[in-house]
Amino acid sequence: MSKYLYDALLKKKRESSGAEQNNNGEVALDDISRVKVLSPARKVFKRFMRNRLAVVGAIILICMFAFAFLGPLFYPYEQDQHFYKYDTQTINYSQAKRIVNYTGYKVDDGIKVDSEVETMMNSNVKGMIADGVESKFVLGADGAYTIDKIADSIYSLSKADSKLICSAGVHSVKLGVYSRGTKTFSPAPGEDIPEGFEDSLKNAKMTGSEGTVVIGGVEYTYKRGAQKTDLDIFHRVEGILYHSGEKGGDFEAVLTDSVENEKDFEFGGKTYSLVQNGDVFDVYELGSAKVAMVYTLYALNKVDLEKEFPDEVRVKALLAAGKGGEFKAEGKTYYLEKDEDDLIIKDSGKNVIADMSLISVRRYSGQDTMEYGLKRTVIKKIEEMDSTDTREGKFVYAIPRQDTETGQVVYDEDGKLVMDDSDLYINRSDTGVYNITCDQIIFLIDTYAPVSGTHILGTDGDGYDVFARVMYGGRISLLVGFVVVFLEIILGVIMGGLAGYYGKWVDMIIMRLVDIFYCIPSLPILIILGVLMDYQRLDPIPRLMVMMATLGILGWAGVARMVRGQILSLREQEFMVAAEATGIKVSTRIFKHLIPNVMPQLIVIATMGMGGVILTESTLSFLGLGVKHPLATWGTMINSVSDQTSIAKYPYIWIPVGLLICITVVAFNFVGDGLRDAYDPRSKK
Amino acid sequence: MLKYTIKRILYSVLILFFVMFIIYLLMYSLPGGYIQTRAQELASKPNSTKSYQEWLDFLNAQYGMDKGVVQGYFTWLGSAASGNLGDSWVWTLPVTEVFHNTVWYSFILGAVSFVFEIIIAIPLGIKAAKNQYGFTDYFASVFSMICISMPTFFLATLLKYVFAIKLEWFEISGMKSRDYINLSEFGKFLDVAAHFVLPAITLIIISIGGLMRYTRTNMLEVLNSDYIRTARAKGVPEKKVINYHAFRNTLVPLVTTLGGSLPGLFSGALITETLFAIRGIGHASYQSMLQADIPFIMFYLAFLSILTLLGNLISDLLYAVVDPRVRLS
Repeated sequence: MSKYLYDALLKKKRESSGAEQNNNGEVALDDISRVKVLSPARKVFKRFMRNRLAVVGAIILICMFAFAFLGPLFYPYEQDQHFYKYDTQTINYSQAKRIVNYTGYKVDDGIKVDSEVETMMNSNVKGMIADGVESKFVLGADGAYTIDKIADSIYSLSKADSKLICSAGVHSVKLGVYSRGTKTFSPAPGEDIPEGFEDSLKNAKMTGSEGTVVIGGVEYTYKRGAQKTDLDIFHRVEGILYHSGEKGGDFEAVLTDSVENEKDFEFGGKTYSLVQNGDVFDVYELGSAKVAMVYTLYALNKVDLEKEFPDEVRVKALLAAGKGGEFKAEGKTYYLEKDEDDLIIKDSGKNVIADMSLISVRRYSGQDTMEYGLKRTVIKKIEEMDSTDTREGKFVYAIPRQDTETGQVVYDEDGKLVMDDSDLYINRSDTGVYNITCDQIIFLIDTYAPVSGTHILGTDGDGYDVFARVMYGGRISLLVGFVVVFLEIILGVIMGGLAGYYGKWVDMIIMRLVDIFYCIPSLPILIILGVLMDYQRLDPIPRLMVMMATLGILGWAGVARMVRGQILSLREQEFMVAAEATGIKVSTRIFKHLIPNVMPQLIVIATMGMGGVILTESTLSFLGLGVKHPLATWGTMINSVSDQTSIAKYPYIWIPVGLLICITVVAFNFVGDGLRDAYDPRSKK
Repeated sequence: MLKYTIKRILYSVLILFFVMFIIYLLMYSLPGGYIQTRAQELASKPNSTKSYQEWLDFLNAQYGMDKGVVQGYFTWLGSAASGNLGDSWVWTLPVTEVFHNTVWYSFILGAVSFVFEIIIAIPLGIKAAKNQYGFTDYFASVFSMICISMPTFFLATLLKYVFAIKLEWFEISGMKSRDYINLSEFGKFLDVAAHFVLPAITLIIISIGGLMRYTRTNMLEVLNSDYIRTARAKGVPEKKVINYHAFRNTLVPLVTTLGGSLPGLFSGALITETLFAIRGIGHASYQSMLQADIPFIMFYLAFLSILTLLGNLISDLLYAVVDPRVRLS
């Protein structure tokens, strides 16, 4: 009825507008053209525009979307693009130290040296130096060795053919085994057993695993034998015990004398060595010795780093150090010269090919890649520092020039390195290590760069551009908001629609479900889920999906409740009765006639919900349980500078990002508020 | 009234039953979940007396996880109802003891902010409604909206930056100063109070906006009602109209919501407490969640659900008590 009337009025309006042209703008008071007829959408729009806060919110949102979705198109940097910089940094160029431990080199591969002897070498040599001895006899598991001094800081280890001749001192001689179980005594072969010894043993009191027992005025010791009940009986004898043929009285006289002085001795043109073994001295006859290894403090410095330096030359040079002069290795002649503390090796043409020094100089990485000249300069400088007892020194040496732009070493046209005289500093640490430092241009990730023209908000701890990440972060934050709200609305409309339309038990069940979901504490659940995904090491993208799904599932209850309420009241209205009467399908009735009527409320709830979702997402990301690196979101960005020192140091990172979150959420809320007032003016007036 | 209350309580228990079931289901169905991790952790400890499998079986039995969801849930429910909530894995104390040690800090923090929230938000809301569309109104709207939209963690960081780092008025986090031991009794109290200032301000700002808007909306509704117009038409002084007729009616919805939020004072502020290292229940539960402490998490979630339901119940009952027009059935 009213529509019909409206058509008539419009007709009249058209006529009168024609008349207006004729009558030069004279319009009657009751003319329809004086009443502006607006479509419902325009009406809402007009009311919305009247709300200043809502308009401001809308403008902010438009800007934010442009910033987040269009901004990256025009901004030169990506969200996961590292930035690097070249910086002059004082670096540890190399390290030098006086060598204190002897290193061994094999002279004769054919001779196997007992590992025990090798390990003890350092302490043995140091003991020799302390005692002022030039030669020492050592016993290894597989025979006797001698250590001989070749020159200062060079010692040779020789394996000697030695023979155990005799032992001098108080020995224990095994008399036999007494079995406590069977109470029998079985004498060892070749031992004289006093008479009645076995009977005395039976009566003797022998307890524990070892001890002494006196039989017939003689003291015997016993010790637990191979079996638990067995006791080995020992007889103590003082004197010389020969292991092979006797040597005679003269030998014994010299030996007794030597034992008192604890010194090695010579007899009959042969050398004998004493080795203390408990109460006894074992006497070894030394045969000819063969040099097996050479031990030295000297480190080798090659002149030509590229060239292989044969080990044999080094070993031969060391062996020749005592005599000096010429030596042969690998069929060639070499010369060895002594220069103060150092040994210089020259080849047959008298060219210096290497030297050996007591100070080792290595690159800081431990590699031996330093130039010979620099090494010599460092060694000389350290010797000079030591002689004047200064801890710091400085010298100038040419090292490869680096490009100030790229940090790479620079070559000239001929492909040679360009060398610059640079200052090098030597500093002696308390541990006796000399650190050589110099300024070098190096290439590194530009972390926490301050605000500048190239980086509007600087860079973060990973060397990413903060401004680029702010834009990409906004993208994800807004996207998460949209997806989650969309999910909530879909679920809410379906559930609420079903509950409201069907009523009865459907309504009953769904509303109980809504009550349950209202009651579930969502933030803890999301945190638990985040921790769990941490355990599972989920990739950032699937992780994001899971988070959005969870947020949607936890949030639909409010929408459902609202939709149900609206539908309950709409269901009773005349148009729905008419729709039912005309026999329209149920699904059409719900989705075409009911839902569009709930649309205004849905839009309002969606807008307001968006802000809430963005807040939740950023909170989760801030806790490190939401969106993960390298994806950027606003929450993650604040999280990356959330420890105490970073808060103080990098406010230019977290303050803008935090404000962006706040502004976006405020804008969503303003727009939502404005929309609600525009759709339903009664709520305000 | 009594009948209604009993009905509501029974209904709440039913809801709680299902909520806990969903939470239990979540814990139960998590793949490669907490329990395996925990068993692995326990088994790898140097003084562990059991193997991984033994720990796993033990823990599964303890939480009824070896039985099937429904049966397992009833096992857990049975032991929880009889007061046996187990020992917290993170705090190595009975869950109830952890609860006792922490909840009072949360409550003090919550209660202080609650009082300040009321003192600030309600007068502001009323003032805004009185001058609708005036400057105060706009200011209050924008301010309350910012408060609502402020992410807690950002606000907390901002407060720390300004008051702890720049001005150095307060300490950045924690509950006690370094020289706490040497302080007198009153000094100790002041010291702890000073540490509670920033968290309390955070909570107040976060919650103030919602209450202010709610007050304003309700006040506007009342101011637009017929009896106010009548009162004004009769020449009642504006002051009396606002303070006597309008305000008292605005109180009805306010009291019900505020009453409903009372149980929430015990629930703790997870983010704020964590950021300021206040050892309240929120902080404790966050640590438990991070370290997969099932007994405490289950307890905390159950506790939160109970508080929510209790809040709804109180709110509904208060509605009937405060507003004589409402008759519950």
